[in-house]
Amino acid sequence: MNKMARPPVPGIGITARYPEIGTGPVDTAIYHEPAIYEKEMKAILRRSWYMIGRIEQVARAGDFFTYFMPTFQQEVLVCRDRNGEINAFHNVCSHRGNVVEHRREGHSNGLFMCRFHGWSFDLEGNLARIRDEEGFFGLDKTCLGLKPIPMGIWEGFIWVCPEDEPYQSLEDFLGDQGRDTAGYAWGACTKSYQTEAEVACNWKLINDSPAEVYHIPVLHPHSAAPTMMASGNVMGRLLDVRIAGNHRTNSHYSVMGEPKPVQKLAYFHAAAAQNVARDDLDYEMPVGINATRSPHWTVDLIMFFPSIAFTLSAGMYTAHQVWPMGPNRSIYQQRIFVRPARTAAERFGQENTMVEFRDIVMEDFSTLERIQRALDTGQIRQFHYHDHELALRHQHHVVTRILAEYDRELEGA
Amino acid sequence: MASSANLPAGFADLEGFVPEWVHPDAEHRLVKRLSSEMDDIRAFYVAMLERGEAALAWLRDYELGVLPPEGERLLRLMLMLAEVAPAVEWYGDPRVYDGFPVERLRYLRQISDTAPQLQPGDAR
Repeated sequence: MNKMARPPVPGIGITARYPEIGTGPVDTAIYHEPAIYEKEMKAILRRSWYMIGRIEQVARAGDFFTYFMPTFQQEVLVCRDRNGEINAFHNVCSHRGNVVEHRREGHSNGLFMCRFHGWSFDLEGNLARIRDEEGFFGLDKTCLGLKPIPMGIWEGFIWVCPEDEPYQSLEDFLGDQGRDTAGYAWGACTKSYQTEAEVACNWKLINDSPAEVYHIPVLHPHSAAPTMMASGNVMGRLLDVRIAGNHRTNSHYSVMGEPKPVQKLAYFHAAAAQNVARDDLDYEMPVGINATRSPHWTVDLIMFFPSIAFTLSAGMYTAHQVWPMGPNRSIYQQRIFVRPARTAAERFGQENTMVEFRDIVMEDFSTLERIQRALDTGQIRQFHYHDHELALRHQHHVVTRILAEYDRELEGA
Repeated sequence: MASSANLPAGFADLEGFVPEWVHPDAEHRLVKRLSSEMDDIRAFYVAMLERGEAALAWLRDYELGVLPPEGERLLRLMLMLAEVAPAVEWYGDPRVYDGFPVERLRYLRQISDTAPQLQPGDAR
């Protein structure tokens, strides 16, 4: 853990490294206008890839899970087959359209049986059995298997695309950001908590929430701020922001502050996955994480535009995921990944990590529906971003650029 | 050996918190925090914090999966301490001060309080 006192406070000037995104105020229309949301759905959301789970959830042949993508109203069935391959299908029975597997997760004996009429599909998605098949009229079972959904795996995360023909490959979608952050111990944090909430705000506000730390000394006075204040970083500046195409990474800097009493129990007596840098790393950090190799690094926020951001430190990470539901409605999903506990004492460390992170996010989210009301009622028509709110300016730039490109695409068609 | 104790030997001073502060998972612990008075939360917090190091020392000797029932109760009291810590240390309120209503958060996946957790290198 980093005990160095008072590192130099980062300066102003990050935005200037990216002249294409400008410095002026930005128009807030993209945060509330229904017509813009409709266009985003076609130009951005349907063209992206979405993380829906991890390979550890389907460790053995026959293991499965289902996942509902609210934005697209599509339900996915993921399973591992007897050859060890992971398959992903639309969870839709080819007979009458009911779900083939109704459970959230489990282990299949090799057949998924629809609970409507009992049609059964194997782990490769083939239609294996039709109940009372002689009553049908010359069905070709080979054409009635489960429909695959485009699926790819990055660092153990399972991603799918809502379009039958993806606009881009998963590799291209993840781009340099995916390459530069591969190799972190993503697979070591095998235990996770997952929560969800409906939030009456635009999806981009949820992305904005953790994407700047200018707010930390004010919005998180007792939780996240003390560490930052102990570092002399009283304005809440970032160590670094790196833009990679549509994606970006923020690096946070702090030194270890004085932990609160229960934090002390967790950090010093329960091997908690504490949210600070560690000296005893058992792996090499990839080039895209703590890219400046600063000794004052604590956390990276790794945003894969448009819908998922990982906050990670040396020993744990979380995923903020947003599912857009309309111009001013979203579903937020939070996953907190921690290393497995061996002893009962370590179990306490996991719980402490979850509670701390969950409550800090609730502090962050206090602002979302309030901001959305101001947007919807036309009370705030421009946002003025600080140099270290670069990530928000970048997101605005990316959305605006993609929508303009889409308009040109339609004109050219 | 039959015993009327709810907690491991040496933790009799915490017996008064059983069963009120023993809950089966994170979701129920949050409900308990949100529905409790701050004075009760503080009394629990102060008593547990005092015994926190001793409790963790006891729990460190047990791998998950082999805890006796009284050990499970002690662990769950400690997990409840983790849950109420922000109420006392950060907010002075059971709720997140001025926060998004935490009761609107639904738990979709939790970590079992007591089941063994697969370790790196363990055979499946």
